[in-house]
Amino acid sequence: MSSMRERMNRLRGSQGSSAIDEQSAQSENQTVNMPEALSANAAQETEAASALESPAQDVHEAVWQRLQVAERSSKWGSFLQREVRYPLQYQHGHHLLAELAETAEHLRVFHPEETGLPAPSLENLLFLDLETTGLGAGTGNIPFMVGLGYVQNEQFVIAQYLIRHPAEERAMLADLQTRMEDFHYLVTYNGRTFDWPVLAGRFIMNGLGRAELRLKHLDFLHPSRSIWRNTLASCKLSYVEEERLGIHRVDDVPGSQAPAIYFQFLADSNPSPLEGVFVHNELDMLAMACLSIRFGRLLDNRISGEVYAPKKPEEWIRTGLWLERMGQARQAEAIFHMVMEADPKGESSLMLLAARDKKVGNWERAVLLWQKVAMTAHVEFAAVYEAFIELAMYYEHRAKQPETALTYAHGAQSAISERALLQRADAKRRAEQAALTKRIERLKRKLSR
Amino acid sequence: MHPSGSDGFCKVWDCCFIKNHCKIERCIIGNRCRKISISRFPGKSQKTTESAFFFEIKECTTKNRGYFACFARIVTAYVKVGGDSYKLTLLQRLMMREIGCKELFTGDCGPNKHSCRINEKAFTNAYGLLLSYQGVTVMIGKKSLHDIINELRTNENIVNWFEIEPQEAKAAPFPEDINEKLRAALERRGIANLYTHQDSAYRTAVKGENIVAVTPTASGKTLCYNLPVLQEIANDDTSRALYLFPTKALAQDQMSELNEIIAEMGIAIKSYTYDGDTSPAIRQIVRKAGHIVITNPDMLHSAILPHHTKWVSLFENLKYIVIDELHTYRGVFGSHVANVIRRLRRICSFYGSNPTFICTSATIANPKELAEQLTGSPMRLLDNNGAPRGRKHFVFYNPPIVNEPLNIRKSATVEVNNLAKEFLKNKIQTIVFARSRVRVEIILSHIQELVKNEIGTKSIRGYRGGYLPKQRREIERGLRDGEILGVVSTNALELGVDIGQLQVCVMTGYPGSIASTWQQAGRAGRRHGEALIVMVASSTPIDQYIVQNPDYFFERTPEHARINPENLLILVDHMRCAAYELPFKTTEEFGPLDISDILEYLQEERVLHRNGDTFYWSAQSFPASEISLRSASQENVVIVDQSNIAAVKIIGEMDRFSAMTLLHDEAIYLHQGIQYQVEKLDWEHKKAYVREVDVEYYTDANLAVNLKVLEIDKTIAKGQAVVNFGDVAVTMIPTIFKKIKLTTFENIGSGPIHLPEEELHTSATWLELKEVDPEIGTKTLEQLLLGIANVLQHIVPVLVMCDRSDVHVTPQIKAAHTGLPTIFIYDHYPGGIGLADDVYKRFNEVSEAAKNLIQKCPCKDGCPSCIGTEIAGLNGKKKTVQILSLLQ
Repeated sequence: MSSMRERMNRLRGSQGSSAIDEQSAQSENQTVNMPEALSANAAQETEAASALESPAQDVHEAVWQRLQVAERSSKWGSFLQREVRYPLQYQHGHHLLAELAETAEHLRVFHPEETGLPAPSLENLLFLDLETTGLGAGTGNIPFMVGLGYVQNEQFVIAQYLIRHPAEERAMLADLQTRMEDFHYLVTYNGRTFDWPVLAGRFIMNGLGRAELRLKHLDFLHPSRSIWRNTLASCKLSYVEEERLGIHRVDDVPGSQAPAIYFQFLADSNPSPLEGVFVHNELDMLAMACLSIRFGRLLDNRISGEVYAPKKPEEWIRTGLWLERMGQARQAEAIFHMVMEADPKGESSLMLLAARDKKVGNWERAVLLWQKVAMTAHVEFAAVYEAFIELAMYYEHRAKQPETALTYAHGAQSAISERALLQRADAKRRAEQAALTKRIERLKRKLSR
Repeated sequence: MHPSGSDGFCKVWDCCFIKNHCKIERCIIGNRCRKISISRFPGKSQKTTESAFFFEIKECTTKNRGYFACFARIVTAYVKVGGDSYKLTLLQRLMMREIGCKELFTGDCGPNKHSCRINEKAFTNAYGLLLSYQGVTVMIGKKSLHDIINELRTNENIVNWFEIEPQEAKAAPFPEDINEKLRAALERRGIANLYTHQDSAYRTAVKGENIVAVTPTASGKTLCYNLPVLQEIANDDTSRALYLFPTKALAQDQMSELNEIIAEMGIAIKSYTYDGDTSPAIRQIVRKAGHIVITNPDMLHSAILPHHTKWVSLFENLKYIVIDELHTYRGVFGSHVANVIRRLRRICSFYGSNPTFICTSATIANPKELAEQLTGSPMRLLDNNGAPRGRKHFVFYNPPIVNEPLNIRKSATVEVNNLAKEFLKNKIQTIVFARSRVRVEIILSHIQELVKNEIGTKSIRGYRGGYLPKQRREIERGLRDGEILGVVSTNALELGVDIGQLQVCVMTGYPGSIASTWQQAGRAGRRHGEALIVMVASSTPIDQYIVQNPDYFFERTPEHARINPENLLILVDHMRCAAYELPFKTTEEFGPLDISDILEYLQEERVLHRNGDTFYWSAQSFPASEISLRSASQENVVIVDQSNIAAVKIIGEMDRFSAMTLLHDEAIYLHQGIQYQVEKLDWEHKKAYVREVDVEYYTDANLAVNLKVLEIDKTIAKGQAVVNFGDVAVTMIPTIFKKIKLTTFENIGSGPIHLPEEELHTSATWLELKEVDPEIGTKTLEQLLLGIANVLQHIVPVLVMCDRSDVHVTPQIKAAHTGLPTIFIYDHYPGGIGLADDVYKRFNEVSEAAKNLIQKCPCKDGCPSCIGTEIAGLNGKKKTVQILSLLQ
């Protein structure tokens, strides 16, 4: 055996460190970075183990028990399951889990085409989040933990499947397949491009067939992006919940560390470090429940005056635009109206609303918005420039007032010249400049006629 | 004697552009006018331009330039010769008048008239007169290829003239069971019956037998696989096929051809290429609905196999796997691909399919063996080629000796330039092959310079690896539709990229293997018409050996293509990929070796996790992305052009080992005929920053090599020497580079290279001399060893069929492990790919060929074409042969 290693090392020669080295280095780092609470925990247990001098297995057994993990078996084999139950009266950040009961039905607009299907409700939502051994949806990426959330007997149940080794995957997936039959909606965060494709691949790999997703998917990553893009630094779930759902995780094990922790577990069977992964996954499930409540409330026009009401005009505008896309036109219009009343200054996001108004032919407000942007200092250059151009276009082609149009075109010109001092001209900028010059010349011709 | 007009005028032809269409080359200095050429007459009668003629007047001198002014005015004139109508310029008419053919023109042809007729008979006479005019050479018309071939016959540098007789087609009717729509589609494309090899390919493949069809270029090999595949899909819509081509370009080609037939058939068969350029939206469709997926091994390796669950409909219904250009899968690349195919078969069996392999290959000695090794399946060989072929002239051209004692010949590059010029200016579509990227660029710039007055430089292009795909597609298209007249290429165009029919192929030096030579030769003259292939020999030993022993080339079977899928590094890498794709059972096979050791090793490395009888992938990484099928080193060096600071762009890339000697600081890197100087090679980040320059030289780097024997596996005594085979450690470090002048090839300077040492563990065969005639001094012995190494470095790649860079030869006067004079021959790939092993097995053949080469070399006592020049005056040739004779 070691002869094989020797041969390999010799052949690799100075070809640098192998991937394996990097990986083990990585996992070392990760152990160091483990949250204090957990590593302390782990340390205690190891101590306990050595103190009692009992076989490691017993210690491991104790940990499993403490984590509320039990074995599940079926004809496909066995795997582990951890179950945590939260009363619906549990307050998580801004929201009470019980709110899900009244808000769920409003999520129906995510699937307006499904008229025959019962509306989302407390009982028919299945929350799902995977922890996998790698990135992407390649065939070697194994979901070692499947987190499920659903409401049962007035409790929010979080059931987390864990496989002790890859051979248990089949049993776990078979169970998951059956479990999914009880629900109508699948709630995920980025499940469209990650969790579900991974699972679909795993069903095939394990001979469980080519499964089309029967459940209707509610992937909240996309609406989150619609609303919080730009106003949040990132739309990662942990970030969204912290900034917008009022949830503060303590000592969270980042999802990115989960694979290393699991591989360590595969190697030494010590379950302690897995606790962090269980907790992380559990918190993700709760966050998704809260997100469902939030989006349900937004769709139910419960925004103004709430703790979570947007602070910035941009977030208001984006919320309005999203609501409009979700078919809530009246509600959206109310928000737009409110934004206009507040008369925000120096907001380049007004351009978003202006673009929407232009599209639907609401020229009056569009012009007003462009003027607001164009005339305010301290707005991003690109927005100012764009506003001037829009105005020039509007007055030239629609209002047929070449004189006004020319004024705005000159405005755009001066905006460009200002920027020219700061930035180098690239091809795109030169094209912009050329188009603008052409516009000014054309307007001048029109005026001289 | 100078021609002068009867009227006493003297004629000086100055540089004169008449409406940009015809040019008169200037040579006023010394009142000597070398050439007038009038080529291409554009205008309304554009069609006739192709066969337009030109005059060439050489060496005519005169004193008076006054005549000149009138050339600027053009009066259109036409002349009909042989049914073709030519437009004449005033210049021509004046010329004819000058030589006393006033009766040439009928009607008024004064300077202000725009047309006139020419008396045909008088015209012909006029040319006769022109021709006989003392001191004037006039050539009429474009020379045809046939004319040039006839002229070449008398060329004294031609050392061998081999004619390949045309071959009639051997046809078979369409098989009875062939799908009606498919038959109709083929018939509409002018295919009324099949060639014999296509027929047997079809019949064998539909029976489910794996085949390898050996066919030369342009023999309709694509039908060998398209026929059974289309037939299968036409009969059963759920069937799928996978096509593998070694390059993206070939895949693109194939798709367009295939889609044409499919469109004719009127059946909704979907064929798609799947490569790095395929957009994400299309990828979805290809996976789900593509009947025929056309891709390359790299894509299969890194994008398809690791995501096989997205390709269920392909793998469940896979009926055929087509491997085109099988012969390209050799060496390191082939060894990788064989493992990729093992993975592919593993996945097919997971999905319950058992596809039939259809391979096509150029002529090599062991197509069946290679196909079987590559696919791990039994094969039936089909080599009954029934395609017709035009006459081919295969000519060996040996440049004249310029230095008798040293046997130095005129540079092959220079000769190639001149030959190519002759073809190109006669508008004969020509491909020039050169052996290295640098050589391609040098020849390209020379030819462009030589013909820039006759034809635009844009119609002569370079082609090699490192050009961006878009450029390449454009060049291929240009060659097909005739817009590009000439192309200078590395062996990149040896493959079946569709570039249409070229008339002439010129090789700069022997391409290195018989198979490769025939492949390159196949680029000239496809099914019909005459074609000319000229191989211009360089001074290297093997080139000289080949041209002086034409039988070696024409009568020997081509080389064996070797792969070693069991190279431990390669095998282990692909087992990691395979484990990522599907768990390994302990009982499973992956090639002929017992893999349990490797599985356990990977488990130890914590890449696999064992549970019961199964090994599961258990690492975060994506193994396929860490493994490149193409190069020994995984990282390529990216070439960044920063000539324009505001628009820095990537112009190409190069593998790490080549970059050591081609992209070091201050190296001159040529790309599309443009010179770049490397300003900085950032070795750590694998980036070379270059800037456009215009200099008169190119660079050439030296590599210092050191060897250490690690293990001796096999050993055999040969007279007073011992030949060993085993493992060695090679360290390499580039030392200095030389600047070499472009025009004269003289050394005009040098500089150091600062790059880290690279180490390589590989297999080697080495020759130890136990006893040497004590009269031979150490210094002399060292030179003799160098000489033998020089010869071996040339001979070995030819005998074992590999690229020159795949196998290296290094002599040591005192080998570190024995202190004996030793010559090492080693594989230039970690772990070896079976080349040195082959040399060990065939050592007698190798040493015999080396001896033969030295003895047959016409030089007195060593020249660069055999043992080198260092040993002058020492009777080196005799001593070298003596040493080699000791090995019996």
